[in-house]
Amino acid sequence: MNVRRSINWRRQRRGRQGPLDVARLRRNFAQVAEHGDEVPLFFYSDLFIKHPEVRDMFPISMEAQRGHLVDALVKIVSSVDRTDELTGFLQGLGRDHRKFDVAVEHYEAVGASLLATLQYFSGPDWTPELRADWAAAYELIGTVMRAAAQEDEGRGPAWWRGTVVSHERRAFDISVLHVQPEPAMDYAAGQSVAIESPSRPRLWRYYSMANAPRRDTPLEFHVRLIDGGAVSMALTDGTVTGTELRLGPPIGVLTLPQPLPDRDLVLIAGSTGLAPLKAIVDQLTELPQPPNVHLFFGARKADGLYDLDSLEKMAADRSWLTVTPAVSADPKFSGETGSLPDVVARHGDWSRHEAYVAGPTQMVQDTAARLTAAGMAKDQIHIEDFGWSEP
Amino acid sequence: MTTAWFDEQSRMNPDELQTVTFPVSRLGRRGYDEDAVRDFLHKVHAQYVRLVNDRTSLWQEVQRLRRRIIAPQANGEVNGVVVGDSEGHVHAVRILSAAQVTADRYVADAQAYSSRLTEEARLRRDEILQEAQRYSDMVLEEAHTKAREAAVSALNTTPSPQTYQEQQAVHAELAYLRTYSDVYRAHLRAYTEGILRGIEDWERKEAISLEDAANGGPRELPAYDGNSHHR
Repeated sequence: MNVRRSINWRRQRRGRQGPLDVARLRRNFAQVAEHGDEVPLFFYSDLFIKHPEVRDMFPISMEAQRGHLVDALVKIVSSVDRTDELTGFLQGLGRDHRKFDVAVEHYEAVGASLLATLQYFSGPDWTPELRADWAAAYELIGTVMRAAAQEDEGRGPAWWRGTVVSHERRAFDISVLHVQPEPAMDYAAGQSVAIESPSRPRLWRYYSMANAPRRDTPLEFHVRLIDGGAVSMALTDGTVTGTELRLGPPIGVLTLPQPLPDRDLVLIAGSTGLAPLKAIVDQLTELPQPPNVHLFFGARKADGLYDLDSLEKMAADRSWLTVTPAVSADPKFSGETGSLPDVVARHGDWSRHEAYVAGPTQMVQDTAARLTAAGMAKDQIHIEDFGWSEP
Repeated sequence: MTTAWFDEQSRMNPDELQTVTFPVSRLGRRGYDEDAVRDFLHKVHAQYVRLVNDRTSLWQEVQRLRRRIIAPQANGEVNGVVVGDSEGHVHAVRILSAAQVTADRYVADAQAYSSRLTEEARLRRDEILQEAQRYSDMVLEEAHTKAREAAVSALNTTPSPQTYQEQQAVHAELAYLRTYSDVYRAHLRAYTEGILRGIEDWERKEAISLEDAANGGPRELPAYDGNSHHR
């Protein structure tokens, strides 16, 4: 994070007398927020009436969007006095908004609608001072977001065109896609990108790359069909060779630290949570002396072990890699059976290992709790808990 | 507004411009009849003036309405982007919000429905798979049991003396099978020979056509009854 560009609310005067009254902003926000979903509803309607062209940048259903807006506002208002944290959040937000093709004039439009919304719900409590404070605060927020977005422009495009070069259906509800990004994409093994399918415009969902970045090698994605999941359904069902997807910039912290700690690794993957961990194995292959890696790959039934062939092939070529498949709901399975945390625990003491866990939220939480209970320090456990349970 | 929006009777149809025809001019001169063209231009001009007037008055009306909306807000602090909280605008916001909520509900319903469908399909698939697994286990188990019983009984039982009738039945069965296999063999031989003849014939034709190609022209093939190998 760029601390130099941290927000300094106190120094921000913008031609007015006195600094921002943060307490007053918070009181006002709390009062406005009491109106619940009415607030973001008013905000977006106001924005779309004044700038109808902006409507096309959003999905048809705005329900999730309203939630995102309120979450972001709550986050901003509550961390107003923790400027480093807030700056980091806003920079991420600014970079993330690049893929929506957000331009400078959109920031102005959003600011105006935000003020109109706050004013409407404040009723008689709305004062010129309050208005000036909100305007100044928003100006700061917008400046940080735009600066981060601008800085990011030098690093890569707002979004990548991703052409599907193969689509393999590995199970009833799991597909493996290979996607060629244009231009080439640089990322760290374990990271994810947001994907938008042409049949579900404006809906983005995060998927992890399942291989390490290499020039001219398509990205591998593992997609599990979520019941009713708009994007996962479009990807597993409507996607064929040649389909053009849009990919957002790579993000995520489930990556190998630099330098690598002098420990062996245990990787624990539930279902398509395998993707980031497979990428990490792929990345380790390039090291002169990779650490020992034990990869647990779990699913409910044996047919959910959709990538076992590929993993076993990898293990055959790599003396440092052990792969243990496990199945939780099929007692007839010839290998390990039981829940992943149980299976992992049965295989010994991991407290001196570095653990990477990915998969369904519940499984990730259970596994992390189990590892902690067995004596593993929190900073040895690497988790990225997003996107898995999202439709 | 001073000018009428639509004056349907005298209003020129744009298609007229596409389809207008002018009488041919008098002998000795080329082009359209000048008077007719002038009349037409006159008409176009009148229409054009009317449209410009309409446009101007509409523009004034828009400005007037805009002023009415912005006025209550225009006390110094507004930068012009904010349209203000006039009743009309809030009303519009409410209408759009209601429409959005309805749209959200439609999408949510559709999503819930599709979610239910896939879930049911998945459960049904699991059931079918389980059923198939159970059935195949059962069949295997049954076959296994039968084989074991057969082996055990073969070991335990000594052949019992057959009755005369049973022997007769077995002989009759044997005779029938023997006859059947003879007939079947004869048929098979005939069929195979027929195919062989067909292949020979095909080779012969190919040789002839190759020869033709070498000699540079087709030749009448000898007549051949394609069905002759059928008996």
